[in-house]
Amino acid sequence: MTTDVIQLENVWKIFGDRAEEAMQAVKSEGLDKATVLERFGCVVGIADVSFKVARSEIFCIMGLSGSGKSTLIRHLNRLIEPSAGLVKVLDQDMSALTPNALRETRAKDIGMVFQHMALLPHRTVADNVAFPLEVQGLPKAERWETSMHALSLVNLTGYEYRLPHQLSGGMQQRVGLARALASDPEVLLMDEPFSALDPLIRHELQNQFVQLTKNLQKTTVFITHDLDEAIRIGDRIAIMKDGCLIQIGTPEEIVMQPADDYVADFVKGISNLKLINAHSIMLAINDTTLPISIDKTAALRADENTSLEALIDLSVTTTLPIIVTNDAGQDIGVISKDTLLKGIKGEE
Amino acid sequence: MNTQQTASLNQVDYTQPIQHFTQRQSRYYQGHFTKIQTDTRLHISFNFFAALFGPLWAASRSVWGFFWVSAIAILISSILLGQGIWGEAGGGKLAQADRLFAKSQEMATKGQAALNNGEANAKAFFRNSDNLRRAAEKAVLAAEENAKGASQNAIYGGLLLFIIFLIQGFTANAVYEKQYCRWRQDPEVGSGFHIKALICGIAILAFIYPLTLYRFISAEQISWLVEFPSDKTIFNTTANWLNSMFDFLALNGANFFDAITQVINLFLDAIETLLVGTPWPVIMMLIVFTSWRISGYKAAFYTAIALSYLAFFGYWEKSMATISLLGAAAVICVVVGVPLGVLCAKNKTIDSITKPALDFMQTMPAFVYLIPIIAFFGTGKPPGVLATIIFGMPPVVRLTTLGIQQVPASIVEGALAFGCSRKKLLLDVELPLAKESILAGINQTILMCLSMVVIASLIGAEGLGTDVLQALQFAAKGQGLLAGLAILFCAIMIDRIIQGLFKPKEKTE
Repeated sequence: MTTDVIQLENVWKIFGDRAEEAMQAVKSEGLDKATVLERFGCVVGIADVSFKVARSEIFCIMGLSGSGKSTLIRHLNRLIEPSAGLVKVLDQDMSALTPNALRETRAKDIGMVFQHMALLPHRTVADNVAFPLEVQGLPKAERWETSMHALSLVNLTGYEYRLPHQLSGGMQQRVGLARALASDPEVLLMDEPFSALDPLIRHELQNQFVQLTKNLQKTTVFITHDLDEAIRIGDRIAIMKDGCLIQIGTPEEIVMQPADDYVADFVKGISNLKLINAHSIMLAINDTTLPISIDKTAALRADENTSLEALIDLSVTTTLPIIVTNDAGQDIGVISKDTLLKGIKGEE
Repeated sequence: MNTQQTASLNQVDYTQPIQHFTQRQSRYYQGHFTKIQTDTRLHISFNFFAALFGPLWAASRSVWGFFWVSAIAILISSILLGQGIWGEAGGGKLAQADRLFAKSQEMATKGQAALNNGEANAKAFFRNSDNLRRAAEKAVLAAEENAKGASQNAIYGGLLLFIIFLIQGFTANAVYEKQYCRWRQDPEVGSGFHIKALICGIAILAFIYPLTLYRFISAEQISWLVEFPSDKTIFNTTANWLNSMFDFLALNGANFFDAITQVINLFLDAIETLLVGTPWPVIMMLIVFTSWRISGYKAAFYTAIALSYLAFFGYWEKSMATISLLGAAAVICVVVGVPLGVLCAKNKTIDSITKPALDFMQTMPAFVYLIPIIAFFGTGKPPGVLATIIFGMPPVVRLTTLGIQQVPASIVEGALAFGCSRKKLLLDVELPLAKESILAGINQTILMCLSMVVIASLIGAEGLGTDVLQALQFAAKGQGLLAGLAILFCAIMIDRIIQGLFKPKEKTE
């Protein structure tokens, strides 16, 4: 068994009456989206997307509205069928599942949280959370017990018997999260869960979510249109545009090495103080062309993983360049104030 | 950047599209459109061409709304004018007066002759002659009145025509500007000056005006203008064919129809035994209690009043018979209608078949489908129930479909994402969310069923409707009103109780 819980290979989705024909044509002739629209009247929703998500990793998919990210996440539990390509979740080919097996996978292995909560308005909070268990046919007592536990995970104890509309938006979304966690699934799908909330609540929920997933170790695919959110939450980020993934990488990679102008435009406004570490801006200490002289005894030292923010704090206490050390404690680089300022500005 | 934008905004040449829109006379319209668009107050302008040639101007400019309104207005004023000038208003009356005078003269001569001969009926002749003369004089007066009316018509017609010309002139530019604005949003809207459109307009006028004017102004009529060349034989053969179809079905499907009758009868008997057979105080207590539990003490109070009215005025048994008929019809409506509504919401083919059928059931006058019902099922209560079902079924089907379709797609998706099966989705998500709409449908259905009570009694479904029907036959006003009130009270009672089902939430909160 591989550690990859989710695996997508060359997934395409084409919408329209003549989607199959269009798919054939795309495969054989390699048409682009505009031509597909013109010739078949079909819209390409997802174009040739491949990625893997490892166990207990949080994988963020970031894109603007209409970029196909919500369509993509719905392929993972087959709410939408792919036009072509392979979708594997927990080593199961989703397209090959029988309706019963699919229902079981959805109920047991994949939890989903929606932007607009999608709670059942006529059921109490506890019954909403217990819904996936009810679908599995578990007895009432077990359902209730589990739903109490799930609600306690999201700090909603005491609200079990309210109706969803009696709760605030943030609380409703926590109910949604509790429902997704209720059957203790291996995979969590989050479809812009915090986008409809106001900024303060959003921030709070993001923190709560990071804490929760750290403890629960769920494999998570997280959709967002907010790069800040993606950076705060994601272990890796995929940037999506017009149905294609244009870059996949860690937050630092995305910010430091944007793949193209589109990504660069996005990361322009992102504060890199917490993302970039000493290692990526330092000058190698054995470089003979160093423009500065180093006083190895008096200089302060910092670990290579120190963030820019911490380096600033450090550098205001000294006039000398800072020496960067690796895990073994060896001096490997040096950062002068000039280097630091350039690093903050994002220049190499 | 900003200054550049504003500058380019100012530089947009607004006159170009106007030129493109009007094609001819663009300078003239440009001026007026600009004034209309820049004036904060109403800009008054007079378009002489539109005033004089109203419909033709409109046709050439493809302003078809203006074309029809002005064509019809001018037609009406022309008819008035024509009747005044050429019409033989009063001509008929004068001819009648002449005939009457001649008759009177004749009678007088006859009377004179009889008097001369000493006959007894001379007096009668004179009286007749007098009467005829008076009638003739009346006719002459009427003719004069008509003639006066004719000249009045001419004046009104002329005045109206003048006013129409003024209105056309003053409104044309404003209307045309409105069309220009619509054209800017949607290039499909008619624009420009087209000879073809003008010819089309002239053709329409040439078809309408001569025929209509002739019909209203001329005294003598051409028969083909007044009568449609209908063919009696088509009607007869179709009606006969339908007759034989009905007969054939009634004969061959007798067993099938009998079975339906039996089932309905069984059902109806059960309800009726329950309602009529049980001692009235028990039933009364049960109904009041039910309404109190479901809808609160207010509804229970109304129900008690309604029930005591029914009891005191001797309608108890009849109203129970009516309610059992209604109950049978309503239960069948719901049992068939809700699943059908769900199917319609899920399946487009079924929906496209059901919709016209429902329209047909609801729109076809009840008396029309009473005929085949009698042919197939005879008379009595079961056919009464059937007729009631036909009329009462549509709302519950429609509102069930609507309710299911209105369940938010996001909630359905949410349920599916957690592995919900289709059956569970329907029972635990869609039906509960559509509940209010379905209940509204059931309520509508029951009230519509109740409105069929009188009509059902026409084919022998006894109950309160029978009393209304009898009152109608014997013009017994008091009896009719009392029976009508009894039906009304039944309706209010049922409505109150069902309304209570809508608001369980508010009570618990």
